[in-house]
Amino acid sequence: MGIMSDVEPPPLREPEGEGDTPLSDADGSGIWERAAGHFARWRDGDTRAMDDLVRLLSPVLWHVVRAYGLDTMLAEDVVQTTWLTLVRRHDSIQEPRAVAGWLTTTARREAWRAGRAQQNARPAEPVDLEPHLPPEDSAEQIAHVNDRDRRLWGAIGGLDERCQRLLRIVAFEERPDYARIAADLAMPVGSIGPTRQRCLGKLRTALEADGWRGDTRDL
Amino acid sequence: MTSETTDAELFRALRRTWENVDPVPVDLVDRMVAAVATADLSREYALLTLVEGEARAAVRGDADMLTLQFSDGRTNVLVHVTATESGGHRIDGWVDGAAHTVELTQDAGTLIAEVTDGRFAFDDVPSGVTSLRVGLESAVEPGGSAELRTPRFEL
Repeated sequence: MGIMSDVEPPPLREPEGEGDTPLSDADGSGIWERAAGHFARWRDGDTRAMDDLVRLLSPVLWHVVRAYGLDTMLAEDVVQTTWLTLVRRHDSIQEPRAVAGWLTTTARREAWRAGRAQQNARPAEPVDLEPHLPPEDSAEQIAHVNDRDRRLWGAIGGLDERCQRLLRIVAFEERPDYARIAADLAMPVGSIGPTRQRCLGKLRTALEADGWRGDTRDL
Repeated sequence: MTSETTDAELFRALRRTWENVDPVPVDLVDRMVAAVATADLSREYALLTLVEGEARAAVRGDADMLTLQFSDGRTNVLVHVTATESGGHRIDGWVDGAAHTVELTQDAGTLIAEVTDGRFAFDDVPSGVTSLRVGLESAVEPGGSAELRTPRFEL
């Protein structure tokens, strides 16, 4: 049985002004579109295009995998396994635009499997709480970003593990595969949408309890 | 007054916070590019999973023995680590599949051991982050993996 054979690829989303998670650049082309372009070029024989794809989506895969509580070394192994799996099973991807969803679904599946094994072996390491900021930011910006991230991180930390995982996956994926996430979290698939809203509601409540007045600029 | 923050704006802020609080490791992308570039595309890889053992239990001092078991559901690899007098580590391993060699990789370099009757050994391995690649007789299992990798563990 192929690794993806029992999971439908995530539905494709048409470009739109404001989706759930518009990961787009200044030039307006989203990274999912560019991923499809790199993948199509690679399949047409441009070997360098795979480098571009790996550079583009490895950060997304990192965050998706880390949502499963894997330590840093195991998370990196899972990201690498995901790429090697793409190289050997790319034939199963019919439509280049499905490549990003295929990658994140594969990464989540492998992370879930590895995470269960790791749980039995040891507790996950805590995430380093000190934000790592680019050095070129001015001191004022660092102070501001630090403050915002600390506040948001505190609110995230107050959510249950299921909410934390769900929100992180949704934040970084194009169009998460709710059926697979539901299986991972031992939830009925129909409850993922409502759970997502409940988790967002809890997050807003926690932020407001911390003094947030609903202004996006303070997030 | 500003309008109410949308869910999309909330997710955007969450993404930024996760990117800052749990950033992608500095060299991760370069390592991934190198791994994909050097992957022998004719071979099949599978990542073994730690079934039993404490991968972070460093073998030093009085904790001078460590046993790790890895599996992909088909092939099992058992690794037994003991401390050597020189301060290094001796590794004795067993594979229940048709393996020919085991490659031990650390930042410092790579060691290769032959597998005889399912057994392999490394006499003196320095401390450090370590992983094993098990080369299988590819003809034995058509369609199966020709190479198994363990997750990295610490010696």
